[in-house]
Amino acid sequence: MPELRKDPVLGRWIIIAQERAKRPTDFVVAEAPSMGGFCPLCPGNENTTPPEVLAYGRSYGAPANTPGWLVRVVPNKYPALVIEGNLDRQAEGLYDKMNGIGAHEVVIESPRHEDIFARLPLSHMAVIFQAFRSRIHDLERDPRFLYVLVFKNYGRAAGASLEHSHSQLVALPILPRMIVSELQGTLEYYKYKERCIYCDIIRQEIQQKVRVVCQNDLFITMTPFAPRTPFEMWILPKQHESGYHNHNDEQLASLADIFSETLRRLDACIPGVPYNFVLHTQPLRTENMKHFHWHFEIVPKLTSIAGFEWGSGFYINPMAPEEAALYLRESLEKGPQEARP
Amino acid sequence: MRKILLVDDEEGIQLLYQEEFQDEGYEVISAFTGEEALEKFKSEVPDLVILDIQMPGMNGIEVLRQMKMIAPQLPIILSTAYHEYTQDLSAWASDEFIVKSPDMLKLKEAVRKYLG
Repeated sequence: MPELRKDPVLGRWIIIAQERAKRPTDFVVAEAPSMGGFCPLCPGNENTTPPEVLAYGRSYGAPANTPGWLVRVVPNKYPALVIEGNLDRQAEGLYDKMNGIGAHEVVIESPRHEDIFARLPLSHMAVIFQAFRSRIHDLERDPRFLYVLVFKNYGRAAGASLEHSHSQLVALPILPRMIVSELQGTLEYYKYKERCIYCDIIRQEIQQKVRVVCQNDLFITMTPFAPRTPFEMWILPKQHESGYHNHNDEQLASLADIFSETLRRLDACIPGVPYNFVLHTQPLRTENMKHFHWHFEIVPKLTSIAGFEWGSGFYINPMAPEEAALYLRESLEKGPQEARP
Repeated sequence: MRKILLVDDEEGIQLLYQEEFQDEGYEVISAFTGEEALEKFKSEVPDLVILDIQMPGMNGIEVLRQMKMIAPQLPIILSTAYHEYTQDLSAWASDEFIVKSPDMLKLKEAVRKYLG
């Protein structure tokens, strides 16, 4: 019997279609051949990107926009939103519009073209998380922006257009609908119970142990109760914190530790699986929110969105999160073939 | 005379662009596929390339990355009807990204910027 499940924050329903149940090995990941040729993100080609806004790893005194970097952040050469100009909010009858103002940046995660994010040394991955933090702090100073969206597309099927490891930041003059819904959902819960719903979720998941994938002292990875796709995972700080950018280097090192393990577990279940990860954090220039809890959502690209999903807003997921969590917990030890719930 | 390699699978575009750029004093060499473009890129040694993206066989992005491997400093202008290719980071290898328009103003400006 399929099961309808409701996300406790968003109120979003999903269908766990148990009769379509699959093992990790049943998911076929089409290998996208590398295009090869010139890469604009590789060291030595710095002149093909706009001038960097941040770089780590270059020796002291070395000029900007030259090789020697470990992580480099550049504005998008052909951005979806542009940095110059005023918002110029307008109404056209009942419709609202404004200029497409924003900051669209690319985080080049490694100088090595063939590096894979999940397999970077932890100290290197921590620098990428520091880069996210630093850019959020900087973009926060621009009063036109309300939110910084941080995301990564890994694999062509998940939207990555270039194989050189990178993630993106987009500073927006509006709050994304998803964040508004999360803020509303968490506030509603807080008004009722005077507790953060994510803190309660973490407490319950640690107690129940069925959807926990892995954890360290500071962070936990779990499959959510109502996931949109098989192997969807959330990474949350165990201590309440609404703003990602409030974490120090030590905490980000711990985040790198859990992130690396999480992605390696996913890759061991389904080698090469494309995925997106998205940071959900508090809006810019807000005080620490008692009801909101920042987290990363990792969504593997294993199912497609078709008419039913578009029409209903429901997702059909052929794998229960409890089963996915079990596979993920066993994956590093057993690999993709042998893992069985 | 400065030489432009014009890569586009549409004959109408080829005829229009050839006429316009010849009138501006450039020599124009045509290629209708990515494969043909790479051959002519090596044999004709152009000063600038105008490159369509959606073509049968090799697409313009693949051609761009191959050409930039051979001659990274040679200006290449992506000229396409599809703005969404700006979201493809491989397009960063190009020197300009121009959405095709009937008046060709931006394209002509870009060519002048590199060839004078």
